[in-house]
Amino acid sequence: MAVSKKIIRVVFTGLLFAAAIVLSIAENSLQIPVLAPGVKLGLANVMVMYALFFLGKRYALLLAALKAVFALITRGAVAGILSLCGGLASILVMALLLAFFGERMSYLIVSIFGAISHNLGQLAAVSVIYTGLVALVHLPVLLVAGVVTGAATAVLLKFLIPAVNRLGLK
Amino acid sequence: MRFFKKSDIPVIAGILLISLALWGWYRISYLDTPVVAAIYYDSELVEVVELNLNTEKEFRIKQQPDVVFKLHKDGSISFLKSDCKDRLCIRSGRLKTVGQSAACLPNKVSVKIIRKNKNADHDLDIVIR
Repeated sequence: MAVSKKIIRVVFTGLLFAAAIVLSIAENSLQIPVLAPGVKLGLANVMVMYALFFLGKRYALLLAALKAVFALITRGAVAGILSLCGGLASILVMALLLAFFGERMSYLIVSIFGAISHNLGQLAAVSVIYTGLVALVHLPVLLVAGVVTGAATAVLLKFLIPAVNRLGLK
Repeated sequence: MRFFKKSDIPVIAGILLISLALWGWYRISYLDTPVVAAIYYDSELVEVVELNLNTEKEFRIKQQPDVVFKLHKDGSISFLKSDCKDRLCIRSGRLKTVGQSAACLPNKVSVKIIRKNKNADHDLDIVIR
């Protein structure tokens, strides 16, 4: 039984990764206005979030790394670094929130903070790579964008929870 | 873990209020400042373009001829063409307020709107080549 659970987790990670790739392609083709230099909406980060909720930190980190490698291959080194920074920042913040507050948090608020920290992580990476580029002007936009995408992904998550529970991961 | 809690509302409202306050403060402090566009290549300032000229023109920088900029009549600047894949720079649209910036990361070109007064802050402490 223990082995089959592990197989389910690995398969599920693969599924999430596939969905992340589709989402990042979809986001690129949607022509959403750019919020800040190098920073994108990060729809694909949803999948990292789900991995953290359903599979745990290790799988979330794995997924963030896979996503970064995919960005590296398809869009170059800078995109890879940005993807990794956004993913890591978001995992870090969400994992900390879950560790400190646990059940007292709601999916909605964790998701919103994850989205915001994903944006901020990318913005931080941009400012390190291109010094002086980042100004305060982007901060309000990114905060609001984080709230919107975070809420949207939390709603998606709500529909996904029953299906994932049937897999018997927890 | 629950999906939503009542205590989420003040947190979300707080985040939105902070962004609104930041944005308002920003608009008030920089609204009518004369601005220029600083163009960077590989993090080095290569060109400073006046923005309030009421002119429309397209230009490139010699360090990266694959990228074309456009000045608009409303005193804004935008990326017009670029050979990069994702074209985030073009999708950044027109820039005209201090602090706004856009970048074509694959081509190492970035544009930042800064105040015209050179001695005002650290924005222009790089020597123009």
